[in-house]
This record gives sequence, structure tokens and C-alpha cells, in this order.
Amino acid sequence: MIEIEGLTKRYGPKLAVDDVTFTVRPGIVTGFLGPNGAGKSTTMRMIVGLDKPTAGHALVDGKPYAKHPAPLHEVGALLEAKAVHTGRTAFNHLRALAATHGIPKSRVHDVIAMTGLESVANKRVGGFSLGMGERLGIAAALLGDPHTLILDEPVNGLDPEGVRWVREFCRYLASEGRTVFISSHLMSEMSQTADHLIVLGRGRVLADAPISDVIAGATRRVVRVRTPQVQALTAALAGPDITVTSFDDGALEVSGVDAARIGDIAAASGLPLHELTPVDASLEEAYLELTQDEVEYHSEVTR
Amino acid sequence: MTTATETTTAAGPLDGIRLSFGGVLNSEWIKLHSLRSTMWCLGLVILLSVGFSALVAGVLHLQNPGAIPATNAASLLVQSSTIGVNFTQLVAAVLGVLVISGEYSTGMIRSTFTAVPGRLGAYFGKLIVLAVVVFVVSIVSLGISSLVATGILNARGVNVDLTRSDVLLPLLGGAGYLALVAILAFAFGAIIRSSAGGIAAILGTLLVLPVALQVVAGLTNATWVSNVASFLPSASGGQLYAFVQPNAPAPASGVVALDATTGGLVLAAWVIVGVVIGAVLIKRRDV
Repeated sequence: MIEIEGLTKRYGPKLAVDDVTFTVRPGIVTGFLGPNGAGKSTTMRMIVGLDKPTAGHALVDGKPYAKHPAPLHEVGALLEAKAVHTGRTAFNHLRALAATHGIPKSRVHDVIAMTGLESVANKRVGGFSLGMGERLGIAAALLGDPHTLILDEPVNGLDPEGVRWVREFCRYLASEGRTVFISSHLMSEMSQTADHLIVLGRGRVLADAPISDVIAGATRRVVRVRTPQVQALTAALAGPDITVTSFDDGALEVSGVDAARIGDIAAASGLPLHELTPVDASLEEAYLELTQDEVEYHSEVTR
Repeated sequence: MTTATETTTAAGPLDGIRLSFGGVLNSEWIKLHSLRSTMWCLGLVILLSVGFSALVAGVLHLQNPGAIPATNAASLLVQSSTIGVNFTQLVAAVLGVLVISGEYSTGMIRSTFTAVPGRLGAYFGKLIVLAVVVFVVSIVSLGISSLVATGILNARGVNVDLTRSDVLLPLLGGAGYLALVAILAFAFGAIIRSSAGGIAAILGTLLVLPVALQVVAGLTNATWVSNVASFLPSASGGQLYAFVQPNAPAPASGVVALDATTGGLVLAAWVIVGVVIGAVLIKRRDV
């Protein structure tokens, strides 16, 4: 469990993370979504103490990360930037990290096998591809058999097979009762992995809800309607909270009323319909809408 | 949608693990010897030390070698055994900087501080491993150098005795000097966090500053300038491996002359100040 309260990070005049409060619960995969520069990485770095918060605090299982007697057993972290000396082999890198906690060499071999790095374990990390580097980062995060996993953009640079492996692995770890917290700037990625979503924009929490609620809550659903009698239908539909937008190709987009009701109204008025299509906004659109508002809001304030 | 439960993970085989300083030392030892650059540096220390000793012992100008008194012979032996320190100190300095700046330039420091979030454990663990390794390698290289120099000088007819205390102490002091230089360089690396910047700073301190002050002292003839120069790390630390002439003339009035003890203490003060500043910055800065 990760508890974050009032977490703030200021770099000079810029607020990278602005009074953020949320809880990441065990047993589920929590996605941390936001455009690049939203403050995801900074928030994650503050959880493991690499960056010091300007205000607020982050607790892992009730304590600051650094106060745990075996930090690597508490949190396994893969942070966005490469964090490996390029002159060392993957095996020696993992062995050196393991040594700090007295983690046996057998566990080093285990995580190498788990992440499929056997063939390159004795090669120097400088020659690794982005995908292999990412796997090594995940291996390092798993080293201490941690209760909580914090993975910053874990599928970055992985091939499709690797992406699926990370997804399934995250779900498996969560099913074991661990806390899994993964960031991404891609909504499509989150929709296939996460149960719960925390959306960050400009350093602030825009949404903190189950993934289904985020889609439902952040979007207006619209119904696309075609009729030869546009004006008559528009008049028939008029009502509070109902908006009708007409497009050049003759289609109408109606929001505030569902498809069945539009069909009923049209039938009652004797108006023919050529199309009646409910359009659900995709996750991607929901996400764009959330973050778009945030960007516009800030532009108005600052300019 | 999975519901959140307050479950904890089942007991695993790693439940007994603990972060410990012994573990950190072990980790830093693995890190140090698993890099090729370390091995190059340490190999170079031995090569330079022994090579320069053999060279100097072989080409020293000797007049009537059989008649050189024991004290002068000891002085020749110390000079030819420790001559390489002038060069190996640069290698020790580069190694000291790289041990920490290499982690910053590659991002490794984030892994290190995630595993050791208190940070100071990793900082001092690194420092201790570096100092011990440099000291041991220096002792070995100075030991070989002195044996080689003894053999060559004996072959050239000089009656030298390696077991005299005024020979052994400078050899020990030379190894101590190299370890202290490595620690000072490590502190520079921790403060500056860049390999190029750290190496430039430490080499500037060891090589350029003394020369600059010497030039100023020569031009101005000011005693205080040369006094300041004798407190620089290389000049004060140099007393650690210098042969002590038993009847050396007293220095002119107003001129500071450090001996092995005071010189060593001055260098130690440099090292302590550097290490403390490095520790404060390491603890305070984001990585």
C-alpha cells in the first residue's frame, strides 16, 4: 500500500507535483496515467526517496520508504531513466544490488530467468537494447521479492511479446496480493493492464477511480443521427441538457439523451431516421478530454 | 474489476533479508572489481610504480658507490622506490573520482540509493572499499618497487638495507598518501558529480595549484606564498613518503616546514573537509 498525502515538488518557479493525495491499494494494478511532464516520474521518485518533497509525504506500508529495515523487500522500483552502470555485466549489476540486503545469488539467477535475460546476463549493459535494459530494470525491481512494485513506463521499448509479458506479470503479482503501481502516457496501455486509474495532469490528480468510472465519468456519450428532416428533428429533441450539433455531411450528434429515447421521439413525431448510432468515446478520448481541459485551464491562468 | 483487499503476500524465502552495512560493503566491493576501468587503474598503479623505480635506480648518477654512507644509501633507496608515487597519485585520483561520478553519469546512482535509501551508508561504504583497495594495491606496488630498487642498487655496488625503519616508514606513508588522495578525489567526484569535472578539479588541485603558487612565489619572492603552497594536499602529503634526513638544517625563519606527522595531518584535514561536504550534498540533493 502506498499512501501519498499533500505531496508537492517545486523546481524553481515550476510546480512539478502540486499537492497530490492518493492511495495505491494492494491486490490490484493501479495505473498512473498522464502526458509526458505531468509529474508521474517525480512522484514515483519521491515515493522511494530519490527526490525530496517540497511538502507532504509518501508512505509505503505505513512508513517512509527509507525507514524500512529491508527497503528492497518492501518496494521494487523500475524508474524511467536507465539506472545501470554501462560497464558492468547484468549479472554483476544484480549481484551488487542483491549484496546490500544479503539476498542470495540463487535469487539473482531466479530473476534473470524470470525476465528472460539468461543469454545476455554476462554481457556488459552498455550494449543492451532498450528492451533488454527494460527487462534488466524489471529484474532489479523483483530482486527483493517486494510487497510493492513501482514501474515507470515498464513497456517502453519492449516488443509485443514483452509488452504482453509485463501485463500478465503485473496482473499475476497483483493477484498475489501485492501493490502494483505502473505509469504510462498511453491510455490504451493502461486499459489493458490496470484495474484502477490515477490520472495526473500538470502535477495534479485529475481522476482517481476504477478504470470503468474514468471512461464513464470523463466523457459525454453522444448519439449520431441522420435524418432527411434535420430541422424538425432538432426541434423535436429540444430540451434542457440536450445538445444537438450538426455536421456538414448531414449527420447530427446528440448528447444528453440516449439512442432509444431519440428513436421514440422521432417515431412519435413521424420523422424518418437513416442512422441512429450510440458513440462511446474511447478510453483514449476520455483521457485526452481530461488532460486537454487541464492544459486549457492553465493556459488561461498564466496568459 | 477486482476488489481491493487488505491481503498481505504469503511468506516468501526472502522474508529474513535486511539492509546492512556489511552488505553494502560487499556490494561496493563487487561494484568496484566488476568494472574494467578499475582493473586498468590498479594495474597501471603497479606498472608505473615498479617501472619508474627500476628506471631511477638504474640510471641514478653514482660516484664511488661502494663508499656511500648508509644514510645516504637509504635516501637513494627511498627516492627510487617512491618516485612512481608522483604518477600513480594521478591514477588513484582518477579512480577515486570515477568510483562515484561513474554512477552519476550512467544513472546507477539511482539504483544504489534505492537499495540504500539512507545514502550515507552507500557513500561511506564506497569510500572505505576504495581506500582499502588503493592502500593494499599501493603497498603491494611499493613493496615490489622497493625490492626491485634494492636489487638494482645492490647490483650497482650500493650497500642498501630495505629493513631500516627510515626506509619502511616512507613506503608505508606512500601507500597511505595514495589512499588519502583517492578519498579526496572521491569527495571531489561526489561534490561535482561529473567525471570530467571531478578529474579536472582533483588534478588541478594536485598538479596545477602547486605550480601556479611556485611561479607566484618565484616572481614575488614572498615567503607566505610558499608557506601556503606547502599546505596544499600534494606538498603536505608528500612528507608522508619523503626520506627524513637525520640532521636536516632548520628552515629559515618564517618558512613553514611540515614533517611526516604534520604533513599527514594537513592532508587528512583536506580529506575530512572534502568528505564532509560530499556527505552533506549527497544526503541533501535529489538524484
